Amino acid sequence: MTDPRRMTSLQRTQQRMAVLFILPALAVYALFVLYPLLMSLWGSFFTWKGLRMQEFAGLSNFARLFVFPSGERLYGALWHNVAWFFGIMLFQNGLGLLFAWLLFLRDRGAAFFQSVFFFPAVLSPVIVGALWRLLLAPGGIAEWVLNGLGLHQGSLTVLGNSHTALAMLIAVDAWNWMGLPVLIYTAGLRQISGQIFEAARLDGASNTRMLVSVALPLLMPAIGTLTTLSFINTFNQFDIVYVMQGVQGNPSYSTDTLVTYFYRLAFGAEGAVGITDIGLALALGTMLFLILSIGTLLMLRFFDRRTVQL
Amino acid sequence: MTALAVTPRALMPKLARLPGWTVLVLWTAAVLLPLYILIVSCFKTTAEIYDNRLGLPQSFAFDNFVKAWTRADLGQNFINSLIVTGGAVILTIVVSAMAAYPLSRYRLGWNGIMLGLFLSGIMLPIRLASVELFTLMRNLGLLDSLTGLILVYSAIRIPFAVFIFANFMRVLPSELDEAARMDGAGEARILFQIILPMVKPAVSIVAIFTAIAVWNDFFFPLIFIFDDRYKTVPLAISVFVGQFRTDWGLVFASLAISMAPILIMYCLLARQIREGVGAGGGMK
Repeated sequence: MTDPRRMTSLQRTQQRMAVLFILPALAVYALFVLYPLLMSLWGSFFTWKGLRMQEFAGLSNFARLFVFPSGERLYGALWHNVAWFFGIMLFQNGLGLLFAWLLFLRDRGAAFFQSVFFFPAVLSPVIVGALWRLLLAPGGIAEWVLNGLGLHQGSLTVLGNSHTALAMLIAVDAWNWMGLPVLIYTAGLRQISGQIFEAARLDGASNTRMLVSVALPLLMPAIGTLTTLSFINTFNQFDIVYVMQGVQGNPSYSTDTLVTYFYRLAFGAEGAVGITDIGLALALGTMLFLILSIGTLLMLRFFDRRTVQL
Repeated sequence: MTALAVTPRALMPKLARLPGWTVLVLWTAAVLLPLYILIVSCFKTTAEIYDNRLGLPQSFAFDNFVKAWTRADLGQNFINSLIVTGGAVILTIVVSAMAAYPLSRYRLGWNGIMLGLFLSGIMLPIRLASVELFTLMRNLGLLDSLTGLILVYSAIRIPFAVFIFANFMRVLPSELDEAARMDGAGEARILFQIILPMVKPAVSIVAIFTAIAVWNDFFFPLIFIFDDRYKTVPLAISVFVGQFRTDWGLVFASLAISMAPILIMYCLLARQIREGVGAGGGMK
């Protein structure tokens, strides 16, 4: 069909125009996304001196990543990312489903609540992080409110306490993105035919029963989208940690994530001090790339198979 | 009531809806209270913030805003962010629409492969390539440069934009461009004067989500910008939070300034944003 000799003049023009039209986008995309990404994956198999690639090193960067002194940081960060993901699934996507269901059962106010709930999601995580850092600081408004209600005494140090800091950041992240599950679930619920709910109602199903047995199976595509998005966002988590706890994931690395650890290995600690290790950084980048790609593909397949066809 | 006329409302008696309303109102408060505190604190001195936590300020003085804009130089950061956001939105729309037009409307034989190459970029974790990207930007002389940021942001947003444009352009009737071609219009003219005006919803989706993503981004300025003159708003804010820790009024005011453009856009375009996100989760 595209044999050049048999092309009409229109097809020839179109081939030429297509190349001209696609070239600008392709050039920018290839130069600033594809090329650096491929070079980073390739570079993770080499030794590095500063920002200069030295010689082929096989998997030695990866081996160093998992042992002392890097291993401790790696496993800590990995665990924080996993905990973050489950925290978001439960608190953000779970609560978001409840909100979406409540909005679906009402025909008034849905647009208003959706708009309010989604507003923090259009703000920069930097602004959200800075705002909550001020609110939760010792002497801040949260301390004043909790002390006033008699729920707490003295100085509020939830962000400075290594047992509570990570949970606080996850909660702030959920506050930031709560509107996303609410919007996606309500859109999904509205696509389900009203007759299905009516039939379930006539069979005597309660609201809870309808949510669990009727709506949830039909919401699989929406659940799949949200789980995948949350997975990707969680394993890219950086901004909120940087703004609220610094790039070390204070206190004492208790909020460190894979990307903050990557950033320290690649660019040093705050103010560009500290030792960088490009080989380790690239190996960590490659590992994260694999986690993200394989994880995303598995999730998409998993939810695709569980999609109910009506 | 017939079975067909069922509305969600009919599924629930009135009184049973009370606990649900309470839950919804509670989360509304959880969202709006911090924002209310942010706004009223902008007009208070630090001493007043401690004395009068929740109340309205004694007077609506703009001292904190003036201080943030001039002394902390947020004005320059604000202009930088506007330039970068505007530049990235325009560049992304123009090159992505150009690429999507032949990919969705010509029979090239290689449409599928090329579209696939662009679409694979929607999920790529580009932050992990930041070391090589840094070296590339340094070699191109694009460190400490707003142009550099515009190019990187466009590159990151192009896959999503091509995806949206191709989807919208594919469903337009083929008579549109055929008739124009008969009249002797060139391909560039067909794209920009006939096709693009027909896919205005796609243009607004791409513009809105590119603008939000670029205006809010913090990671790339953190890596590529060292000179204060070229810092964008989120980067400046991250410095303020540490630097002016004791001057809470100033920090609150700079947070308010930095979210103002997004707040205005959100109030104007809330419906489009809700529908865009609900349709495909176009964020991030």
